[in-house]
Amino acid sequence: MDTATHMLRTGRRGTLFEYQMALRDLRNSFERIGLAWSLAWHDVVSRYRGSILGPLWITLSMALMVLGIGFLYAGLFQQPIDTFMPFVAMGIVFFGVIAGVITEGCQTFVNAAGMLSQTSLPMFTFVWRTVLRNLIYLGHHLIIVVGVLIWFGAWKTSNPLLALVGVVLMVGNLAWASMLLGIASARFRDVPQIVISVVQFAMFMTPVFWLPDARFSDNHLVLVANPFYHLLEAVRAPLLGEAVSGLTYTVLIAMLVLGWAATFSIFATTRRRIVHYL
Amino acid sequence: MKAPPVSISCRDLSLRFPVYGVDAKSLKKKLAQVAVGGRLGSTLAGATEVTALSGVSFDLKAGDRLGLIGHNGSGKTTLLRALSGAYEPDEGQIEIEGRIAALLDLQLGIDPSATGIDNIRLRGRIAGLSSREIEERMDEIAEFSGLGAFLGLPVKTYSAGMQARLAFAAATSVEADVLLMDEWLAVGDADFQKLAHKRLLKLVERAGILVLASHDHHLLRLYCNKVMRLEGGVASPVTDIRKLDELLAA
Repeated sequence: MDTATHMLRTGRRGTLFEYQMALRDLRNSFERIGLAWSLAWHDVVSRYRGSILGPLWITLSMALMVLGIGFLYAGLFQQPIDTFMPFVAMGIVFFGVIAGVITEGCQTFVNAAGMLSQTSLPMFTFVWRTVLRNLIYLGHHLIIVVGVLIWFGAWKTSNPLLALVGVVLMVGNLAWASMLLGIASARFRDVPQIVISVVQFAMFMTPVFWLPDARFSDNHLVLVANPFYHLLEAVRAPLLGEAVSGLTYTVLIAMLVLGWAATFSIFATTRRRIVHYL
Repeated sequence: MKAPPVSISCRDLSLRFPVYGVDAKSLKKKLAQVAVGGRLGSTLAGATEVTALSGVSFDLKAGDRLGLIGHNGSGKTTLLRALSGAYEPDEGQIEIEGRIAALLDLQLGIDPSATGIDNIRLRGRIAGLSSREIEERMDEIAEFSGLGAFLGLPVKTYSAGMQARLAFAAATSVEADVLLMDEWLAVGDADFQKLAHKRLLKLVERAGILVLASHDHHLLRLYCNKVMRLEGGVASPVTDIRKLDELLAA
């Protein structure tokens, strides 16, 4: 048994105490990260039970979308397919991760209502569950990433290590957004609807399907002020062998620090109440 | 095996449920309230609260078998959930030494589309067992459930009784020092009930402390040595089970 053998639960004892308790929740969730992994894995398996391809179904439909949009838009925008296809493929796959973690984050606590109301499992466990589940899907979609990069020769210039740094920054940022929205959605049931609309809007406003070109300078507001652009660019650009601007890293790191500070504070103050929201 | 001290200490425990009406859960309403301010804003400040427990204090040590009695809505389940660590006290404190197992809802973590085996694994993981510990216990759990080859089939193909057997077998495979139960969980047909009783008794014997909420006085006399009555969230002192009648009359 790896459960705690000592439990102390008390009423509010001031702000500092609430932060300590929130921190303990976080620590416990890391000590039992295997549980979050088991739950995430179970989610993936149970969603595709009985289907032959399993999660590869999404990979397949995503691959179809990549091919369709790649060829169509390359023609429309008169772009060389060798550069446009890898661009679209990376965009669709990684924006999928962004959209997945954020929209599914809304259900993190709502779906865990049963477990939260009768066990002392850490709340963070369920946040990691959502994040890990989407990383498992990403693992399947890597087939598209690797396939496209090799087929169109973009692998020669790509920088996987820098892309990995981008993935870490991206997932770190998505995790707090996911948790924050999980808490908000538990309290206000229309948050998920808003989130879905925003993410959909962002998908079209962010260069996922379209290439910002010369008419569109690098510091255009649609790019600079768009957090989704920075999240995506930190992963996509290194894979395509392009440089990532310093601004993107600055924005991502600032978002990471401020986002977690805000989310953690909100968690510390609402932690006791979340179970009652459900 | 070393026996760590097992104890429960509950001091002035108060627990209030904020009631978030369906209305209050809409962001639009909240924004509208903020926008108009004034009159409506006053109801915004504090959501209605229901006091589920107030000033509950008691101490239990190894060997104590506490029966909780009280009418529906008197706070028995809330107290059990607070003891399990799910509900945080609003005031006071709970301190528990020992591994806690809460058998409050057998259906916890049961996924009907997964196989019996997968459900046992999942349930074990939630209860805090490692994968290895679960595999070690798998044979014993499978045998006890008596489901045999059915364990390889999805749980949704089971009859209600079979589902109950599986849930019971999985939930009671834990080792705990503090056992929390909402009603005595005897399920299944007559044969299985006998087995279930035996298994629960063994679990209770191994556990240092049992807290059992029940309406069945016969059951309480059988398994508990102490009793506490909850009435509207207020607890009576913990008394000997032999004084159950006096407590009920009071």
